[in-house]
Amino acid sequence: MANATQAASTRSVPSYCYNCVAGPDLMRVRVENGVATRIDPCHEAASVHPGLGRVCVKAFGLVQKTYNPHRVLTPMKRTNPRKGRDEDPRFVPISWDEALDTIAARLKAIRETGLLDAAGLPRVAATFGHGGTPQSYMGTFPAFLSAWGPIDYSFGSGQGVKCVHSEHLYGEFWHRGFTVCADTVHTRYIISCGTNTEVSGGVCAVRRHADARIRGVKRVQVEPHLSPTGACSAEWVPIRPKTDPAFLLALVHTLLFEHPRSALDVPFLRERTASPYLVGEDGYYLRDPETAKPLVWDTMRGSAVAFDAPGASPALEGRFTVADAITVGPDWERRLQRDAPARTGFTAMADALRDATPDWAAGICDIPATTIRRIAAEFLDHACIGETIEIDGEVLPFRPVAVTLGKTVNNGWGAYECCWARTMLATLVGALEVPGGTLGTTVRLNRPHENRLLSVRPGEDGFMASSFNPTDRANWQAQPSGRNAHRTLVPIVGNSPWAQALGPTHLAWMFSREAPAEWTPPPLPEVWFAFRTNPAISFWDTAEIGRAMARMPFVVAFAYTHDETNHMADILLPDATDLESTQLIRIGGTKFIEQHWDHRGFALRAAAVAPQGEARDFTWISTELARRTGLLERYNAALNRGAAGVPLKTDAYDFSLATDRAHDVDTIWNAVCQAGSAELSDGAEIHDLAWFRDHGHCVVPFRREDWYLYPTMVRLGLRFELPYQERLLRVGAELGRRLHEQGIHWWDSQLDEYVAIPQWHDVPGRWKQAVRDAGADPDAYPFWGITTKTMPYTTGNNAGIPLMNEVGANLRGHGSVILNAATAARLGISPGDWVEVRSPVGATHGRAEPVQGCRPDTVVIPGQFDHWKTPVARDLAFPSLNTVVPLSLRLTDATGSGADVVRVALRRIPAPRRARAREAAA
Amino acid sequence: MTRYVMVADLRRCVGCQTCTAACKEGNNTPPGVQWRRVLDLERGTYPDVSRVFVPVGCQHCAEPPCLEVCPSTATRKRADGIVTIDEDLCIGCSYCLMACPYDARFLIERREYAFGDTPTAAEAARARRHTAGVASKCTFCVGRIDAGTARGKVPGRDPEATPLCVNSCISGALRFGDIDDPTSPVATLLAENQWFRMHEEEGTNPGFYYVWDKGAL
Repeated sequence: MANATQAASTRSVPSYCYNCVAGPDLMRVRVENGVATRIDPCHEAASVHPGLGRVCVKAFGLVQKTYNPHRVLTPMKRTNPRKGRDEDPRFVPISWDEALDTIAARLKAIRETGLLDAAGLPRVAATFGHGGTPQSYMGTFPAFLSAWGPIDYSFGSGQGVKCVHSEHLYGEFWHRGFTVCADTVHTRYIISCGTNTEVSGGVCAVRRHADARIRGVKRVQVEPHLSPTGACSAEWVPIRPKTDPAFLLALVHTLLFEHPRSALDVPFLRERTASPYLVGEDGYYLRDPETAKPLVWDTMRGSAVAFDAPGASPALEGRFTVADAITVGPDWERRLQRDAPARTGFTAMADALRDATPDWAAGICDIPATTIRRIAAEFLDHACIGETIEIDGEVLPFRPVAVTLGKTVNNGWGAYECCWARTMLATLVGALEVPGGTLGTTVRLNRPHENRLLSVRPGEDGFMASSFNPTDRANWQAQPSGRNAHRTLVPIVGNSPWAQALGPTHLAWMFSREAPAEWTPPPLPEVWFAFRTNPAISFWDTAEIGRAMARMPFVVAFAYTHDETNHMADILLPDATDLESTQLIRIGGTKFIEQHWDHRGFALRAAAVAPQGEARDFTWISTELARRTGLLERYNAALNRGAAGVPLKTDAYDFSLATDRAHDVDTIWNAVCQAGSAELSDGAEIHDLAWFRDHGHCVVPFRREDWYLYPTMVRLGLRFELPYQERLLRVGAELGRRLHEQGIHWWDSQLDEYVAIPQWHDVPGRWKQAVRDAGADPDAYPFWGITTKTMPYTTGNNAGIPLMNEVGANLRGHGSVILNAATAARLGISPGDWVEVRSPVGATHGRAEPVQGCRPDTVVIPGQFDHWKTPVARDLAFPSLNTVVPLSLRLTDATGSGADVVRVALRRIPAPRRARAREAAA
Repeated sequence: MTRYVMVADLRRCVGCQTCTAACKEGNNTPPGVQWRRVLDLERGTYPDVSRVFVPVGCQHCAEPPCLEVCPSTATRKRADGIVTIDEDLCIGCSYCLMACPYDARFLIERREYAFGDTPTAAEAARARRHTAGVASKCTFCVGRIDAGTARGKVPGRDPEATPLCVNSCISGALRFGDIDDPTSPVATLLAENQWFRMHEEEGTNPGFYYVWDKGAL
């Protein structure tokens, strides 16, 4: 009888984990007598999920997360009007009514005054954490945001630094690759510059790479310290930090100058890239005087013809004289060119990289020239030029070589060069967007997000259409519409819903304190929403970010526990967390990192257990906010348009909600479930919320051919906009003119990045110069400080979950300062000694972990810690690189990104007081 | 005969500790007690360095040293090779902890919980409560195996009859099954690849195999 009762009270509830961008992954929650006790893989999804229905270590922290005794479980309000790290907020519990009415009163007052302030900036701002993943936990809040109107998303939580920022922008521009990966299931050779796949690639990537290793793939890991990914690679190349551009450019040089052209994919270069386009002496494409189409040199006719002239046989390389042409410079200035000297874009590339030899790069990167040459040769040997493979019945090129870039390589100065060189390495052997090669995964700056191929439209000059922010005099946005000025400063980021959060988000924080002379300091938003984000820990110069945050007049934080960011809040709202709330999301297709599925569909995160305390489902909170703010009709209309992930009404089905009333959580998600399943089946098979609660997910096949962009490019007759970057050259020149017309010169060094063929500049030297700019001596900061991730934490979340700390401690360097063993010996530092890592900005402290797998000039601080408020995490006394990385305009590149790199000093110290107290307590 | 064994394919393991966490959560072990964990080993001198991740835990030896020294007969070995501890018989003498060459046994000296002295609702709700003052270790999730096989499920093939660490392993490094069944995936894997066992020189005949083809760790 007892057994029967126990069995009857045990349930397994379908759910998903989307705690990092490498998800979502499917799972089940075991619930015993109403209590979540265990996370299980979703074994029944093994045939559809690329990770066989499994979730990574982070998901196993969700039970502790749910029952964390430190949770904020009632709405709270601040009673101390003074804000700051040293101020006790004196939060007191309040009712949901009081909390929501207080927020609604603020919001209604704003609506009466105007949604934009005198500077034209939104009066309401919002910041969400890691890579868009909060959206999978915020229920219908997007509908509320949509109903509200303009919102400023420019206060970053670390994006631009903690993501692969430049790859997002350039990858999407060149090949619709917001994130870029190897086609791991087919590839045979991977050059991985710091890509920490085995840590942050998620379940799907880990499984794919493990399978690839067994299959015999060779991965060369190029990084300053030996990460788990390096550990699982065939070879580790310990490169000097921030010199990856030189390494990659030297690889391109080697392919161009030390191997025959027949080793490259010449047909691909000629037909699918802009390699044959003729470049004039002024740096712009020579164009047909009548049509303005770029010209190529037709070897059949012996003359220049438009790039799309029928029957032409374009020269891949060479120098020619073009009798009659124009060039189109900045602001569309047409310049007549007669008997103009011309060279192809390919030749322009070769000219620019003639001196980027392996011998030259060796001195910069600290990698032997022979190693660089060998890697280039291996890359070519594995490229299988001329081979094909059949995918979904289509014969496609087979080029099983790939180059991937990791965080920090992909951020800040040098990232443009790395992104370009990586993409060119793929392009030179025809391995871009074909089986085995280098692939984009998804789009965020273009739409639709569900299938990046559908975002491809023919644009100018035979390329894909791009949506740059305008830089012409008439349309350039001189007056920013957001506090990070993404439309003003960063043309390539565009203006999609994701664009603002991908602008230079640290500028919003920096300029709130002090703006450059020619820049009006933006007023702070009157209301700031924060959810699943802790910029006071996760950004650079966290002390300064905390001070900026304290100046925010009214902060609404959706609070799990007290933390360093919501310490500055005025209202805390406890949302029901992962296992307590309901939401349907899209799964499958191709997604971030390495989620390449053969299916697509929807998965439900069913509320497995009742919310703890007074925590409420985010959908309920959103509906109540809309109702109390007088936005209910617009909110419901937004839901009907698809703000919960699926349009509720199309020509094929109608599950729309009445707009004049507040709907409960289940009613809303029932409609979304029905609409989603109807969308999948063209209305043939409708599944409601109850069905999804039982089955968890619903999928239909996704064509594997749709993993690759190449067939779409062929079908539309388009070329990849490589190698020559005429568009960027023009846009940069225009941007410079616009800024200078406004008297703005503080973005001039960023303008230098707009070059047609990226070349080496002293990237590491910028960080040494930053030390000088801070009034310090670079020789006093002789080490590179970098960071790395570990899977239990990946980003800054999970820091307050003891299970993550316990299992994370099995990994070397957890919570420590990793340094080279010989360096440690030289400095008299023994394992476990306390050390101080200091930059001109400040210092962080941790225990030393000397290892062999780290460059002698580098120290590595894993994770993002240094908490002073978050329960459990504050007692860890772990160091954090974020504490010592400066917020710096000088270290910001043209895309608005910086890098987790800083010059540091290192010394042994006595145990800090906090650590001594903790150890005494233990 | 049946002998259940674990196989860790070190070519696949990435050290993610998902198995560690799944085991801890599934078996409700107290803080610091890790029946399954993954070692992070480094070898060589900069720049010629390698790093390998090695899952460890009870090796379910055919000749278990822990069994020999157990004065209370709490430690036993089943016919299918699984080494068990009867918590009702264990007197917490720790002889087995000292005898185990794999550092796989733990003495749970007092009840501790993730957030301190008070169990969370999840910890309190778990049917399995570890007895303070007795030894504990990996059981190969013997309860799952017995319950699963009773329903006709096959350990290592069907998740319902397979240890939680194996079910959770995201890289496919951990495998489980009957080595005496030549058609089982573990038998096939071992037949087709180089492997070793830890401390074989101790004569323990461990039931934990490591697939590895890159020389000494």
